[in-house]
Amino acid sequence: MAPPQGQMRPGRQLAVLGVIFVVLYLLVFFAGGASGGWKDRLEPKLGLDLVGGTRLTLEATNTIDGRPPSAESLEEARRIIENRVNGLGVAEAEVVTEGNRNIVISLPGENRDLTEVGTAAELRFRKVLKVTDGSGATATPPSATPAPSGSPAPSGSPAASPSASARATASPSAGGQGGGAPAPSATPAPSASASAAPAPSASAEPVPQGIEEQRKAVEQKVGAAAWQAANGLQAPADVSADPTLAERLKPFGTLTPREIAVLPANMQFNVPTITCEQLDDRPAGSINDEKQQAVACETGAKYLLDVAKVLGTDVDDANPALDQTGQWVVSLNFTGDGQSKWTALTREAFNNEGQACDASALGQDGKCRVAVVLDNNVISSPEIQGVLTGDSQITGSFNNRTATELSSQLRYGALPVTFEPQEQQNVSATLGESHLRAGLLAAGIGMALVIIYAFFYYRLLGSVIFLSLVLSALLVFGALVYLGRQIGFTLTLAGIAGMIVSLGVAADSFVIYFERLKDEIREGRSPRSAVPRAWVRARRTIISANAITILSAVVLYIVSVGAVKGFAFALGLATVLDLVVVFLFRHPIMTMFARTRAFLSPRVSGLGRVLPAKGTEQASTRNPRAKEA
Amino acid sequence: MAKSGLANRLYRGEAGLDIVGRRKVWFTVAGVLVLLAILSFALRGFSLGIEFSGGNSFQVPASVGTLEQTEDKVRDALAGPGGGAELVTAQEVGGPSGDFYELRTSTLDAGESEAVKLALAEDFGLNPDQISANQVSEAWGSQVTSRALLGLVIFVALVTLYLILRFEWRMAAAAVASLFLNLIITAGIYSAVGFEVTPSTVIGFLTILGFALYDVVVVFDKVQENTRGITASNNQTYGEAANLAVNQSLMRSLNTSVVALLPVGGLLFIGAGLLGAGTLKDLGLVLFVGMAVAFLTSISLATPLLVLLKNQEPRIQAHNKRILARRGAIARGEVTPKGTPKAATEGDEPVDPEQAALAGVAPKVGARPAGKRPTGARGGRPAGGGGSRPGGKRR
Repeated sequence: MAPPQGQMRPGRQLAVLGVIFVVLYLLVFFAGGASGGWKDRLEPKLGLDLVGGTRLTLEATNTIDGRPPSAESLEEARRIIENRVNGLGVAEAEVVTEGNRNIVISLPGENRDLTEVGTAAELRFRKVLKVTDGSGATATPPSATPAPSGSPAPSGSPAASPSASARATASPSAGGQGGGAPAPSATPAPSASASAAPAPSASAEPVPQGIEEQRKAVEQKVGAAAWQAANGLQAPADVSADPTLAERLKPFGTLTPREIAVLPANMQFNVPTITCEQLDDRPAGSINDEKQQAVACETGAKYLLDVAKVLGTDVDDANPALDQTGQWVVSLNFTGDGQSKWTALTREAFNNEGQACDASALGQDGKCRVAVVLDNNVISSPEIQGVLTGDSQITGSFNNRTATELSSQLRYGALPVTFEPQEQQNVSATLGESHLRAGLLAAGIGMALVIIYAFFYYRLLGSVIFLSLVLSALLVFGALVYLGRQIGFTLTLAGIAGMIVSLGVAADSFVIYFERLKDEIREGRSPRSAVPRAWVRARRTIISANAITILSAVVLYIVSVGAVKGFAFALGLATVLDLVVVFLFRHPIMTMFARTRAFLSPRVSGLGRVLPAKGTEQASTRNPRAKEA
Repeated sequence: MAKSGLANRLYRGEAGLDIVGRRKVWFTVAGVLVLLAILSFALRGFSLGIEFSGGNSFQVPASVGTLEQTEDKVRDALAGPGGGAELVTAQEVGGPSGDFYELRTSTLDAGESEAVKLALAEDFGLNPDQISANQVSEAWGSQVTSRALLGLVIFVALVTLYLILRFEWRMAAAAVASLFLNLIITAGIYSAVGFEVTPSTVIGFLTILGFALYDVVVVFDKVQENTRGITASNNQTYGEAANLAVNQSLMRSLNTSVVALLPVGGLLFIGAGLLGAGTLKDLGLVLFVGMAVAFLTSISLATPLLVLLKNQEPRIQAHNKRILARRGAIARGEVTPKGTPKAATEGDEPVDPEQAALAGVAPKVGARPAGKRPTGARGGRPAGGGGSRPGGKRR
């Protein structure tokens, strides 16, 4: 029969549905990391509550003095970590604080590598003031280093005053110290007594008592002679010129990274026996104080770094990008305030204001370099080629993965507390198999009840409901398995419950349709002609109603975090797939159904009861002039 | 089946229940419920689960026995010194430094926690040092909750916009108002009965959000259809047309709710009946209550609210007046044109012109399709006046 205008071709739509099925299940079985036997490939990712997972405890090590961080900053760190973990996908991670210095992260799935999650991403932008070799005792200063050991004043003799101009809090007393040491904490106290050491630094930045004690302990460990020698250094010691000095400084080479961390920055820099290896292994957060100068290494070179003038929190957004030369870089957008800080810093570096940067630290064009420091490591230290008023890039030897990793670390903000990961553990499910079984049983019961009701109420049409529910379930399941692999979508018990609920909603679109059909027939239409008309009207209602569900799912998915995000995803997925089944299965099948003889019998389709219940008249459904009530 | 019982009439969409006309009753009931709910929020508040309020955790070496045995002993210990605290989750933790059980409980103060620890040590014959006790923060941080609320606000704003575009602002206002009533009443029931609020509850709430509006949209869709071009006809006031729409979609709403409640009932039955507690029960409960309330509000609140708003519109006002005047004339002059009141007289509504008119028109619900029939395959719109419209406008 030639379809009337606007008539659909049911075969075509069913074919489209078939293609969707084939593609989906091909993806399920063969795409994106499918592995193992057929059965393994069909397993959706289950959540923490159902299958257990991996747990990592992070211990706050922020304060070198050993005090626990404040409850607020611990909570803030917890929130940031939660964002970060959930940023890994739609997995529903659990992040809690425990006691007063631990954060416990649990992720579904065993043997996940969580170490990245807890690593602090404290980003600092610091001018490179000086450079020396960090490879160890036989330090031959880089050719650029003009500082022979004897001369206390390297080329940057006025360095102290510019650094004072750059930072308001710098103690002017530094000016008298022959220039090489711009840092207040670096003030080389003439007497080696430790008691003198805190005085100058305290003038600028009070050092917690704990650090002083630890410094004293280190002093005892290395011995007074070595300490004195180290303290007397004004510039990186040229041990080749003075072997006895090398001998005296040797004990520093035996210090642990943790002990190194408590030394004043200029000592870390000047003592050649302190190697980059030791510096790199300092505990996380050792140089996170933005108001202190710091020492860090890049490819074996030891840098003395200025106070941090731009922080990770000034970064608004960070993204991996390819620059013109095809190198991976991390592009940065600053916040409004951060942008002006960054512009100021680049201007300062470009002009080398006050000659703050030592000649050894200048780049090829004689401009200062600005080091991008993440935790204890210099990621890159580009020479500043101009005053930067817009977005910037961090260059370095990135590949796609490392650039993505760094930008996501930066994007999620700097942790206010730094952590050391403790051992990773496997945890069992909190609800476990009995609940999973119960959930599936509930789904089964729910589905059975709906189907019984459908058969009871709509008779043979119930089979259409039955088939579409089965199709919906298969589509949802396939999507679950595939998305579990692709975006880490995990199914928790709440998610299963959400799916059960969506069963009812999926069945509802039938109710709308069939009730419409009844309306049409009641108005005197034959079932055959009622089908397309009812469809046109029901479609409108179904779309507007489902649009609301989809809208709520999208909003919740975008706005919320954690479990709600996963739930919203499940809800949206189920609704969209329901629409697919409505359009590509139910409508064509009903159209085909309407052409059969059986459909015309009200006994079969359950539509006949719409008409006045008079047995003999049931056959007259097709008669538009059915009896009036 | 009954020849013309309520069920049968319902089935045929001819129940002729006067829902819109009795709106004062519904509004009063809703007002009282909302008041009770707010009172309950203020006086009783909500009982928050460990996921919101935080709690304590105890770690016991796995060498003490099976997880079930350990759970039982912890429950005993909590009943004594713990002052009625509950065991919330228990899980086995395995790591390089040996396996242990971790048991999370609701909040204990420092003294209670110490007492529980000592009691456990005694029970298991362990040194108290081998059991570690800790405070645990809420796992479902305030952030998750506040983001969920933010989502709710944004959703309501967007959905209002959508409804205004799809329908009109009065319908949007009525739909959103009934949504809020729904949420408040559901939350009120939660607060009053003292069900525990867990993440599942919050998720359930967010589900109801979509479901309640879904229901209302389906009903309003029918109302819109029925009232299209209503001012051109002479038969119905807006309220009557809306009431007809509600009646016509009553069976649909009922079916939908049954179909949606069946699986939720299964969930609840399994969750509460077989497992005792946990995620399934929480979710099942909030969904069951919320969906049932959603069904009732979509029928008895949303449409009456809409009629109330619509009747303020000058165009509709004039139309209603005209109809009533015409009807008055008929009543004075001749016999009532069609049928006699039957279904809608069971109410005890006051005698006010509109009410009376509504009651009078109720049988038309059934009469309309019959009258329509002769117009055959073309005039399929159930909108407007059915058979008694001479049809001049359309043809």
